[in-house]
Amino acid sequence: MSIRFDEVHKSFGPKKRILQGVSFEVKTGEILFILGRSGVGKSVTLKHIVGVLKPDRGAVWVDGQDVTKLDELEMADIRRKCGMVFQHPALLDSLTVYENVSFGLRTPQYTQSLQRPLTEAEIRKIVLEKLSLVQLPSKVLERYPTEISYGMQKRVSLARTIAPGPDYLLFDEPTTGLDPITTNAVNELIFRLSRELKVTSIVVSHDMNCALKIADRILVLEGGNILFLGDVQETVRTKEPLIREFLAETLELLTPEERSRYGLGEKGAKK
Amino acid sequence: MTGAISGFLHELGGFIMFLHRVSTIARRTKGNLRAIYGQIVYVSYRSLSTVLFAGLFVGAILVIQFNSMLVQYDAQVLIGGLNTSAVVREVGPLIISFLLAGKIGAFTAAELGTMRVTEQIDAVQCLGTDPLQYLVVPRFVAIVISSVLLLMMGLVVSVVGAMIVASAACGVNPWEFMASIPQFTDGWTVFCGFFKSLIYGHIVAGVACYKGFTASGGARGVGKAVTQSAVYTNLYIVIANYIISDLLNAAYEVGKPVMERLF
Repeated sequence: MSIRFDEVHKSFGPKKRILQGVSFEVKTGEILFILGRSGVGKSVTLKHIVGVLKPDRGAVWVDGQDVTKLDELEMADIRRKCGMVFQHPALLDSLTVYENVSFGLRTPQYTQSLQRPLTEAEIRKIVLEKLSLVQLPSKVLERYPTEISYGMQKRVSLARTIAPGPDYLLFDEPTTGLDPITTNAVNELIFRLSRELKVTSIVVSHDMNCALKIADRILVLEGGNILFLGDVQETVRTKEPLIREFLAETLELLTPEERSRYGLGEKGAKK
Repeated sequence: MTGAISGFLHELGGFIMFLHRVSTIARRTKGNLRAIYGQIVYVSYRSLSTVLFAGLFVGAILVIQFNSMLVQYDAQVLIGGLNTSAVVREVGPLIISFLLAGKIGAFTAAELGTMRVTEQIDAVQCLGTDPLQYLVVPRFVAIVISSVLLLMMGLVVSVVGAMIVASAACGVNPWEFMASIPQFTDGWTVFCGFFKSLIYGHIVAGVACYKGFTASGGARGVGKAVTQSAVYTNLYIVIANYIISDLLNAAYEVGKPVMERLF
């Protein structure tokens, strides 16, 4: 059970070459953070896994299946295993919060995997459980997305994604627009899902602070290729200028315990 | 020039592929009747007043034009038949479908376009539901059905509007107006009007859904999709009108004995 990219190339027109032969593997239960500057192809990489985008060349393997070669019906089964949190909340405006969160629980793929459709009471129980995981009160259930704040919409979106219990979670900037408390809660949730339920997570983010806290490995994209791929300790020690720039502010904020965990010297000491 | 041609062919190919996928899914799933019904009510309700109001004036405008010509030959008694034939066969479907392109078409393109750029369509897909089946097919079918219904209602109202203006402004007796209708407006004319309405409904639905579904590039992209939807729909309707009129006239000539018996 893993996700693997083999020499993936993707362009949007002749001048916009986004991915130029990207290869990496994500292991079961791992949290991989993908970092990089805006427009470098982080979200594009994620969308290849769920078949929203198809590569020009190369292969994307999910659970041993090359998703670039699957038809829509076979792809639906892969999508059931992969939950994706988008950059926008991407909630359906015409549905209430309850209907949005329960959307994935009513699809034929999900009911087939259970071999029976869920009762309305079971659906309600799951919806309430997931909403409480993302720290949302049950009073938002009957509200429409336009009636709640952007931060709440992001959390509803997260609840909707985890409701069907996917094996893989793909996060496209999950904490953008959230307050620091909710950001910590979301990071904690990603960490918990990974450690307790062995959910494999790929998180696209600009937030190096979050990455250092919960990532197992960090991948940095630059110029259509992988600039760096390593664990947290390797990341904080690398001399790569772009990564040092990403780290600059974060390292300043590290506590002495965190600095020693990453094998860094005392703050202010010569590196 | 080569770029423009290749761009046009690329667009046309994409449009045909899209229509093929939508029709395949619609046939396979038989549509979601509840969603289609909801969309029909929504679309019809939003557009009914506009169509009826416009229909009233379409008939009235033509009556004034016909009257200025017929009065010279003292043939005002024919105004009801000529007006109804022109409205039902040509002008009514054309003008009312232009309105629908601006009203339903633009709304649908904007709605689907916004869903596309805010990743709602991608989210539906990632949750294991085909967005064409869930979002496009109900809208497409509803627009086609609503367009035909609205066009038919618009045509009836335009005849009423014409009769009112003919009576009030041109001094034509309403009974005379009604009596002359069958002289120029037979079953074939009504069939032509209905057939054109059906085709125009498909054009409004197809272009609006395609432009909205394939929108990209944020708010600017949605604006572009809406504009293109309105412009291309009107353009395709005019071209389709010419082709259909020609084909229907040819069909009438070829099958004249049968047509005369039928209509």
